[in-house]
Amino acid sequence: MKTTKFKIAAALALVMVIGLSFTTLNKITVKGSDTMVILSQKWAEVYMQKNPGATIQVTGGGSGVGIAALINGSTDIANSSRPMKAAEVDKLKQRYNTLGIEIPCAKDGLSVYLNKANGVSELTVRQIGDIFAGKITNWKQVGGVDAGIRLYGRESSSGTFVFFKDNVVKGDYSPSCQTLPGTAAIVNAVKKDKFAIGYGGAAYAEGVKDCKVKKDDKSPAYAPNAETIKSKQYPITRYLYMYLKSRPTGETKQFIDWILSPEGQKVIVSVGYYPVK
Amino acid sequence: MKKITVAFLVLGAFMAKAQNVQNDTIKTNSIEALKESVDAHSMKFEGLEERLATSDADLGKLTKIKVSGYIQAQYDMYDTWTFDGVHGINGSSTSAPVTNSFFLRRARIKFAYEALDGVKFVLQPDFAFDKVSLKDAYVVLNDRWTKTFSLYLGQFDRPNYEVEYSSGSMEMLERTKMAGILYPGEKELGAKLEANFDTKYNFPLKLQLAVMNGNFNLGTTANQTKDVDNTKDVMARAVYSVKLPNAGLGIDFGGHGYFGKTEVMPGTTLTGFTKADGTAFTPVVGDKLDKTWLGAEMQIYYDFLGGMALKAEYISGTMSGVGSTSTYVNYNSGFKVAGLRDFSGYYATLIKNIGTKNQFIARYDEFDPNTKLSGNAVTSANDLKYNTLTLSWQYFYDDNIKIVAGYSLPVNEKTTGITSGDFANRDKTDNQFSIRIQAKF
Repeated sequence: MKTTKFKIAAALALVMVIGLSFTTLNKITVKGSDTMVILSQKWAEVYMQKNPGATIQVTGGGSGVGIAALINGSTDIANSSRPMKAAEVDKLKQRYNTLGIEIPCAKDGLSVYLNKANGVSELTVRQIGDIFAGKITNWKQVGGVDAGIRLYGRESSSGTFVFFKDNVVKGDYSPSCQTLPGTAAIVNAVKKDKFAIGYGGAAYAEGVKDCKVKKDDKSPAYAPNAETIKSKQYPITRYLYMYLKSRPTGETKQFIDWILSPEGQKVIVSVGYYPVK
Repeated sequence: MKKITVAFLVLGAFMAKAQNVQNDTIKTNSIEALKESVDAHSMKFEGLEERLATSDADLGKLTKIKVSGYIQAQYDMYDTWTFDGVHGINGSSTSAPVTNSFFLRRARIKFAYEALDGVKFVLQPDFAFDKVSLKDAYVVLNDRWTKTFSLYLGQFDRPNYEVEYSSGSMEMLERTKMAGILYPGEKELGAKLEANFDTKYNFPLKLQLAVMNGNFNLGTTANQTKDVDNTKDVMARAVYSVKLPNAGLGIDFGGHGYFGKTEVMPGTTLTGFTKADGTAFTPVVGDKLDKTWLGAEMQIYYDFLGGMALKAEYISGTMSGVGSTSTYVNYNSGFKVAGLRDFSGYYATLIKNIGTKNQFIARYDEFDPNTKLSGNAVTSANDLKYNTLTLSWQYFYDDNIKIVAGYSLPVNEKTTGITSGDFANRDKTDNQFSIRIQAKF
């Protein structure tokens, strides 16, 4: 008798496990990287036009915020302009028992913005790193006029902040680097300040000039454009990612498949980024 | 008439000139006033900027302090029966047995302060009705250059997978019997060096080496403030991770070793000691009994219908103790043996995510405190092997609150070698159902 009851209970539990595992989503929420907001909104807009039944909600906040939202279950897709950190993967493992799904969905060149009136127009990666680390503080140290350098950067929750720190600054940012909420704010600050320097996605560089970047002293300087980013001649390039808790199903899968299709990748170019394929 | 007209024109010209002079004066005055006002405002802004910079610096310091914590409140039902049919726990000649109870399992607050890049202080007290005890209290020095090494100094988790898995994140209500006996209280006082080659070199290997007093959570609390002997216990652990993203599979595997001693202290009753093979011996004060074991671990994560994991660990070695007198400085309440025992234990836990809000968990674990004896050859309850099946269900209400319901069914081996009491050739019924709510911030 006990065995029969146990078998029935086990069968019911199995049905619940399998049944509840196939949850379908009507609304897709996308959150994270501010760099990717414009791109992601465009994807959502075009996809929803083609699929009137789909609802996609896109918000920014920064890559760290998006990944935290993915871990706490408040978003379906996290946009990130940096790869997920080991500590974040560990949290996903703990909560969902998966390693997460990483989808490189676009390529981006990270621009170094200068005011149009600034006489300096090219720098090496090392010089840029030293400027943001506070080791170079005057424009005359890099061939400009005798004026202090004013630094503008992103908050620590931003993937761009992390990528730039790890790959360009290679250390801590200078305490004098003023943090601003979003790339558009940085562009705006540099636009108004002759002696300012900032960084952010290439797609945002309006009203400022892109600094040409040299890999080292002996290398030629390249401006961030489609050709130099695709060929990796421009030294500060990166992938943009979408992260999911587990393998996508239903509408989420269709949306991601469409993003990776030639049609979805075409949208990337229209926004100012570069396709992965 | 002409003269009058000329006179009016001259007057008019003078008036006009006078008017212009007045206008210019007003303009100059206005500009001066405006300049003064701008200067005054600039000064005010500069003052505000200075104050803002000070506030920013203060706020910057505050953001380096992170406070988190959790409370676990639960209701327990004890399906526990003595050999003579009494239902409940803690029954004695002066108190009635209890069959159910509300219980505050853990109430902890964790303070972490990142003083500088690479230096972190952690303090975590645990609050109970009758005491406040310190769980974590350590400083971590992270190497800023290679971002690979971390040095822990103070009181921290012993390097073992089950022990290091946070009590707030644990899927089960309690850790295994094996972890409770080998690593009582989870924490230890000492120094721990960790090397994580994944951060800088993308090589998924983690190494840990700890040197510890080796007596934490043994004996009375007063005896744990400093070491009770001069020998230190050493632990080492290595974990390697394999990722197969296309298959949705991740495997972490590794092993650890514990190399320590239990010293026979002055005041210890020196009779009744037995070796692992059962032969009696009489130790002398100062003798150091082996406390050495090796373990293997594996955690498999598989993205199957929303995620599942299989976690297992096996540990085998020699454990030593000084008996069942709770006043001894190195008394282990989970291992009351006087002498040495070869032991082995393992667990296998299956965790299945169901949707995004629920988890089903089943764990089977075994701990044999004396592998040299089994069945009817066992004559002491301390040598009985236990197998425990635990079933659990977790519901995540939101990011901060979860509800866990669990049922554990421990089964001890039967032996005719014990002739009276709860374990006299019987499996003592000591099952337990608990439902817990955990709130964290």
